[in-house]
Amino acid sequence: MKHRHSHPDQQPDGVSRREFLHRSSAALAGAVAIVLILPEGSAAGISGAEYDWDRHTWVYVIDTTKCIGCGSCVSACRAENSVPEGMYRTWVERYEIPVTGEAFIDSPDGGEHGFDPVTSGMNVGKGFFVPKMCNHCRATPCTQVCPVGASFTTRDGVVLVDAEHCIGCGYCVQACPFGSRFINPTTHTADKCTWCYHRITKGLTTACVEICPVGARQLGNRDDPDDPVNEILATRRVQVLQPELLTRPQCYYLGLDMEVR
Amino acid sequence: MTSENPLAHSKHVFRAALLLLAVVVALILGRLFFVPETWGEYGFYRGAAVGEHRAEPVRFGGDEACEPCHDAEYAEHAAGVHAPVRCELCHGPVALHADLEEGEKLAEMPVRRGRELCELCHRAQAARPASFPQIDVREHVLENGGEVTPDACFDCHDPHSPY
Repeated sequence: MKHRHSHPDQQPDGVSRREFLHRSSAALAGAVAIVLILPEGSAAGISGAEYDWDRHTWVYVIDTTKCIGCGSCVSACRAENSVPEGMYRTWVERYEIPVTGEAFIDSPDGGEHGFDPVTSGMNVGKGFFVPKMCNHCRATPCTQVCPVGASFTTRDGVVLVDAEHCIGCGYCVQACPFGSRFINPTTHTADKCTWCYHRITKGLTTACVEICPVGARQLGNRDDPDDPVNEILATRRVQVLQPELLTRPQCYYLGLDMEVR
Repeated sequence: MTSENPLAHSKHVFRAALLLLAVVVALILGRLFFVPETWGEYGFYRGAAVGEHRAEPVRFGGDEACEPCHDAEYAEHAAGVHAPVRCELCHGPVALHADLEEGEKLAEMPVRRGRELCELCHRAQAARPASFPQIDVREHVLENGGEVTPDACFDCHDPHSPY
């Protein structure tokens, strides 16, 4: 739409102030857009003879009916990833639910040193352990809130933190509904489970899956039809944590009870 | 209409254009300076961060990493009921003990020994799957005429192959 002639500011032989502002702001917006869009390249990505991230979509399956609550996954994670004491990238929760009354839920030291038997003498109707960790959500709130783009999802479906770029504001820690993130007291940046990205991109599995003595934890590739996790997801009844939040978690649970949030 | 010079009143336009140019140049320079080199390589993040994650050191090597030097223990363990229990669950990550690429021993392997180790998995718990073997260590030791010591389990059971 053009503004013409009738304006009182109209110069006899030039552009109106209004038109000038219109044109110059359009030019400025265009320049800014070019500057911002320019570097969004279309690089080939992480691929090579040994690993191609376009042929992997990682998913995780946790069988709560198998977990014995030994906490080996918690200490293995700490050792593999130098997780500081008192912080947890994965942890194990214990649920003891009496026939009537309140459920007993605890996770002393994240379950790292095992669990002492509960001595309350309650009549436990059902009891189980639930290992927890980052769910590597498809629609994850944590990366959305990062003000500097330090948190992102890789093409193979792993949510990572760029510790060099992170400013440690802690917004993502607040945003995660599963409590999977923390501020690392050594680096003062956000820290979380990486699904052992350094291992899974080398043909190994995560440290927690590697160490679990009962096979309660499994990591698999959605893109590989022969991967055993695909049979589990296709034939077993699985659930995710807090599905009502629509974050599309990629940790699938077998035998999840409604008491577990 | 006057016959004034058409450029007579254009000074403010050039000033504004110059200012605009300065802003654009400042933006481009600022971007070069502040935006990391590999930003946007794969998405709205620093592309190099992916490679940095991949370059983290691997510490757990799996049972296969232990076999070359400890073949007798490896064979005994692999044939027993504890075969699904990884060596490194009780002993810790192999990277603390040996440099596998150089084939060099770095330090003594830490051995977690004591009934607490066994109790991590086998102490009776209402929350454990009922089918999983679990006991009250004290009761079990006394029943079998043993002495309740911190190492009591190992008087009868070899953790590599407990039965």
